[in-house]
Amino acid sequence: MTQLGTPYRSDLRAGRDGFWQVLRAEWTKFRTVRGWAIALVAVAVLTAVMPILLSTPAKSNDNVTCVRRPGGCFVGGQTIATGPAGDAVTDTFYFVHQPMAVSGSITARVSALRASGNATGVPPGYPEALATQPWAKAGLIIKASTRPGSAYAAVMLTGRHGIRMQYNFTQDIAGNEPVASAATPRWLRLTRAGDLITGYESPDGTRWTRLGTARLAGLSGTVQAGLFVTSPDFIESQGSGDDRVDLPTHATAAFDGILLHGGLADQSWAGTSVGSPPAGVRPTLKCASGGRCKGLSAGGGFTSADGRYVVGGSGDIAPYEPDVDPIDVAFLATLFGLITVIALGAVFVTAEYRRGLIRTSLTASPRRGRVLLAKSIVIAGVTFVAALIGAAIAFHVSEQKLIANGWAPPVWPDISLTSGAGLQIVLGTAAIAAGASVLGLAAGTIFRRSAGAVLAVAGLLVIPFILAHVLPLAWADWLLRLTPAAAFSLQAGVRHYPQVNTVCAPYHGCFPLAGWDGSVVLAAWVLVALAGGFCLLRRRDA
Amino acid sequence: MSRALHAEWTKLRTVAAPAWLLLGLVALTVAASTLIASVTKCPGSCGDDTTKISLTGVMLGQAAVAGLAVLVVTAEYSTGMIRVSLAATPRRSVLLGAKAAIVTGTVLVAGAVAVLGSLVAGRELLPGNGFTAAHGFAALSLLHGPTLRAAAGSVLYLALIGLFSLGVGVAVRDPAAAIAVVLGLVYVIPVIGDVMLSGVWQRRIERWSPMDAGLAVQVTRNVAKQPIGPWLGLGVLGLWAAGALLIGWLVLRLRDA
Repeated sequence: MTQLGTPYRSDLRAGRDGFWQVLRAEWTKFRTVRGWAIALVAVAVLTAVMPILLSTPAKSNDNVTCVRRPGGCFVGGQTIATGPAGDAVTDTFYFVHQPMAVSGSITARVSALRASGNATGVPPGYPEALATQPWAKAGLIIKASTRPGSAYAAVMLTGRHGIRMQYNFTQDIAGNEPVASAATPRWLRLTRAGDLITGYESPDGTRWTRLGTARLAGLSGTVQAGLFVTSPDFIESQGSGDDRVDLPTHATAAFDGILLHGGLADQSWAGTSVGSPPAGVRPTLKCASGGRCKGLSAGGGFTSADGRYVVGGSGDIAPYEPDVDPIDVAFLATLFGLITVIALGAVFVTAEYRRGLIRTSLTASPRRGRVLLAKSIVIAGVTFVAALIGAAIAFHVSEQKLIANGWAPPVWPDISLTSGAGLQIVLGTAAIAAGASVLGLAAGTIFRRSAGAVLAVAGLLVIPFILAHVLPLAWADWLLRLTPAAAFSLQAGVRHYPQVNTVCAPYHGCFPLAGWDGSVVLAAWVLVALAGGFCLLRRRDA
Repeated sequence: MSRALHAEWTKLRTVAAPAWLLLGLVALTVAASTLIASVTKCPGSCGDDTTKISLTGVMLGQAAVAGLAVLVVTAEYSTGMIRVSLAATPRRSVLLGAKAAIVTGTVLVAGAVAVLGSLVAGRELLPGNGFTAAHGFAALSLLHGPTLRAAAGSVLYLALIGLFSLGVGVAVRDPAAAIAVVLGLVYVIPVIGDVMLSGVWQRRIERWSPMDAGLAVQVTRNVAKQPIGPWLGLGVLGLWAAGALLIGWLVLRLRDA
C-alpha cells in the first residue's frame, strides 16, 4: 500500500501576476543594472551639454546684426522694421494713398496682377522673374501711417492664393471664393469705423461678401488709405542644403472704379514707396486728381489715366522670417544623447536574450504582451525624464548664450522656457527620446540582437534626419514626412507663416509637418514597431 | 597568422549576419546613389560634381560597414566566444590583426562592387538629367584621373570606416554601445558642422571629422578650394582608424576578456 503524502507546498502566499507586478519587476531590472543607470545619466548630460557647446561659439552669420541698445536688428545697414506686436516685419510696397478720417471706406476694382520682371536694382545677368509670385499682392490698404511697421489692414488679390484679407503682418484670412487667376478682375472694399476695419470682396461690385474684421489697437485720427502693389522675392532652392537663388521681383496691377469716402478735402492721390531702400531718399510722387502722372522710384511707381491707375511695386508685407533658426541648430546636438537612448532601449530587452533571463521573465509573466508593455513604459518613462532634465538645462543656457551672441529680438524671439514654444522644444526633445527608446526596445524584441536593433532604429530616425540636411529639398521633404525623423519639427524655435515665401529646409527650422504634427509620425512608427515586436514575441520561442 | 586568418574567415562566413550586412552595403550604396543621381538635374545643379553625386550612397552604405566591423568583435563578447578565440590564439595582436585583415578584405571587395555599381548608375542616369557635354560634363569614366581617385578613395574610405568601427568595437565590447559611438562620431558630428553657427568651428569640423575629411576624396571639381585635400582627408580618417585600433589593442591586452 502506497501512501500518497501531500507534496511540499511553500508557505509563502502566491504572488499576484497583475500588471503592476510586471511593471515593478521591469523597473527593478532597470534600476539595478549599473551600466544602464550610467547610460541614463549620460543621456541627461549629453542632452544638456552638447547643445550648450554648440551655441557657445555662435555668432550671427545670417547677415543680420542685432544689438540690445538702442535695440533692434539691422541687415545691410538698414533697420529691420518692427510691427505693432514688436516682432520683426517686412513692410515694403508701393502705396498710392490719401488721408482718411475716423470713418470712411475705399472701394476699387483690381485686375491684371502680373509680374513685370525683376525689381529695379537687380544686377544684369540674373534670370528674369517672369511668373507672377504666388504671394504677389495688389489691393486696398488702410494703414496708420506710411512708416514701415505701422498698423494696417488690407484686402488683396494675390498671385496664386486668391483673395485674402491680412492685417498687422501675422493675420491672414482666406477669401470665400476661389479666383480663376490673378488677372481676373475683382472688386475689393475696406470700411473703417474708428479702430475697426472690415474687408469685403465682390465679383461684380454689387454682391459683396464680408471677409473679416480687424481691430487695429490704437488706430485713431487720420490714417492713410489707398491702393498698393508688392511682389516678394523669388526664392528657389538650388540642389541641396542651403544653396538658393533669392531675387527681388516686381509686379503691376490695374485699379479702376476707385471710390473713397471719408477722405479729407482738397487731397489727391500721392505715391509713396514704403520701406524701400535707400532709407534717406524715399521719393513721393504727387499728381493732380484724374490727371496723368508718371514716375518710378526704386521700389515702384504708378501711372493714371481716366480714373484707371496702374501701380507697380516690389517687396512684401509680412512677418520677417530669419534664415537661421539658432535654437533648432543647437538642439541638433541632442542627437548624441538620442543615439544613447536608442542603444539603451535596445539593450533593455536584448540583454535578457543574451543572458537567458527572458525565459525567467516569460515564466513569471506568461502573458507576453504585458511584459513588452511594462518594458515600454519603464524605458519610455526613464528616458523621458532624463532627456527632459537635460533639455531644460540645455534650453535655458543656450537661449541666453544665443541672445548674448546677437541672435536676439526682434528678429529672433526671446523664447522663455515656460512659454509655448519653449515648452514645445523641451517637452518635444523628451518625447522624441521616449519614442526613440521604445523604437529601440521594439527593434530589440524583433532582432534579439542589440547591434542590429540600434542600426535599424538609427537608420530610421537619425540617419534620415541627417540626410535631410544634405539631400535636395524635395527628398528632404519626403524623408521628414515619412520617417519618424518628422518629430524633430518639435525642436524648431522660429515660427513660420504660410504667407511668407521661404525655402522650407530643416536648416531654417522649417519642417513639412510643423510642430506636434510631426510627432504623430513618430508615434505611428512606435505603434507599428511595438505591434511587430509583440507578434514576434508571441509567435517565437524565447 | 594564416591559421588565425582562416579561423576568422570561417567565423565570418558561417553566420548569416555578415553576409547580409555586406549585401546591405552594396544595396544601400547603389540604391541611394541611383536615387540621388536620378533627382539631380542640370540646370539647377550644374555647379555640382557628377562623380560626387554618383557616390553619395557611400554615406548610407557605411552604416552597414560599421555594423559588420562592430559585430565581428562584439558578437564574440556577447556569446563568450572571445574566451575560446583567445585560448586558440593567445597572442592578442595576432587575433586583432586577423580580424582587421578579414574586415578590410571583405569590405574592400563589397565596397568595390558598391562603388562601381554607383558609378555605372551615375554614368547611365546623369547625362539624361542634363549633365551633358553641352554643359561641360563628360560621361563618368574610370580613365579620368580624378574620378578614378574618387572611386578608389571611396572603397578605401569604406575599409577605413570598417577598421575604425572594429577598433571602437574592441574598446567598447558591447555591440549597442559600440554602434552608438560609431554612429555618433561618423554621422552626427558632420551634420553639426554643416549647420554650425560659427565659421571657424565649421571649418575645423570639415577638416577633422571622420566622415567630412574622409569623403573629401570624392571631390573631383575645385579640389583646391576644399577645406582639406583628397588624400590628406583620407589620411585624417586613417588617423581616426589607427587611434581607435590602438585603443582597442590596449584594452584587449590590458583587460581580461
